[in-house]
Amino acid sequence: MEARHVYKTYGIKNPKKAKKEDAETCVDIKHVVEAVKDVSLQIRKGDIKLIFGPSGSGKSTFLRCMAMLDIPDKGEIYLGDECLTAPGVDLNKARARIGFVFQHIYLFRHLTALGNVELALRKVLELPKDEARKRAIDALTEVKLTDCINKYPSQMSGGQAQRVGIARAIARNPDIILLDEPTSALDPELTGEVIDTLRDLAKEGTTMLIVSHEMPFAREVAEEMIFYDEGGVVETGPPSLFFNAPNTDRAKQFMTRIINRTTRE
Amino acid sequence: MDVWQQFIILLEGVPLTLSISLISFLVGIAVGLPLAFIRVYEKEIGFVVDAYEKIFRGVPEIVLLIIFFFGLRPFFPFPFGNAFFVACFVLGLRSGANQSQIYRGAIRGVGDEQMIAGMSVGFSKWRAIWHIMVPQVFSFSTAGLGSEYALLIKDSAYVYVIGLAEVMTRSLQWARNGAGDYVTPFVLGAAIYIALTFPLAYWLDRWGERRKKKIGL
Repeated sequence: MEARHVYKTYGIKNPKKAKKEDAETCVDIKHVVEAVKDVSLQIRKGDIKLIFGPSGSGKSTFLRCMAMLDIPDKGEIYLGDECLTAPGVDLNKARARIGFVFQHIYLFRHLTALGNVELALRKVLELPKDEARKRAIDALTEVKLTDCINKYPSQMSGGQAQRVGIARAIARNPDIILLDEPTSALDPELTGEVIDTLRDLAKEGTTMLIVSHEMPFAREVAEEMIFYDEGGVVETGPPSLFFNAPNTDRAKQFMTRIINRTTRE
Repeated sequence: MDVWQQFIILLEGVPLTLSISLISFLVGIAVGLPLAFIRVYEKEIGFVVDAYEKIFRGVPEIVLLIIFFFGLRPFFPFPFGNAFFVACFVLGLRSGANQSQIYRGAIRGVGDEQMIAGMSVGFSKWRAIWHIMVPQVFSFSTAGLGSEYALLIKDSAYVYVIGLAEVMTRSLQWARNGAGDYVTPFVLGAAIYIALTFPLAYWLDRWGERRKKKIGL
């Protein structure tokens, strides 16, 4: 999967309708947030890359652009050889090949754990009932949740719910899984079980692009870390680079802060 | 005839009152749900929905019934010559306008993130609406739907103007034929309307509470 020179801006309510003179005179430039500015990124099959950086810097927006849940203003997204930003592409088909795990989980609240995982298998991939069920149970087994397949999201802990979220994303055997801060909305004692699940996925060679600040985990599984700030990639390199001596001052400061925070905990 | 026999005649209007209000309710669901989702997710054509709601909520049912029945019957004897059809048609479309507003609030309550989650697993917008939003929207709407149903039972009384022999029409006939007693027929009619209104409204409310608990709201 690849992103080429992607841009995404927020703030103008309806850029199509905004006339030129409006853009120049009426729209207050301060209200325009450039969440993604000329970001390119390539991730090959089996890669695990980790994006990190200050909150509000546009990491999540970029990830949503990769999944085409937000449509980039400019630039191209490739999934394999297919250009998803080209006109006329069936985005629903493309999204079915991308797994997405949300920071705030977003399970379907009216369905059980099994129902959450099964739904897309039945209705998007249109698998026969038995096979969908089998694959859903396999996915739930993989995240070690066989004991609560019949629970509703409201009856689960945050960690369990997020593992269902991961099962929902992997059940379709997507080409890549995008994870948007999968642990940051959880209580600290629950992040461990989710990280363990991700570690298992990493061992199996799952292609993943993860936004996360779980530094020990990053160090362990990531081939490459990407420091993202103010809408752009500041520095990329292997974990060893960031943990020893990042090249840019901004990355250096950020790493110092985050490592201090981790040791204090 | 004594009061008891007259009351039996009133009761014989119950199936008609019930079927008009139930069918109108279902027509209202079929009309109101799509309208609500169009209003929220297809903003470009939202003004059509808006106009529809304004017309059907702004004009009294009794006027709509007269227009659709006496106005359209000469031109379209089928189906507008059939009073039962016109009753369900008018009350159903009116209820659709009301229900659209109920569902719109519910859609906001369910939240856009459920749609995004649906899109992320590969659903198109309308299939995500069908598989993910609609089931949850119903759980959110039960209180409003209960009172909408009560409204329909009561509004079904207006169909006396197009001559359907439901409870209201029968009360009216009894009163006209009776010896100047206008109170008894309508008090008994009122009792029937109350008895019809509450079971479904109550059941809807209970069901909604249970669903909401399960969903965790």
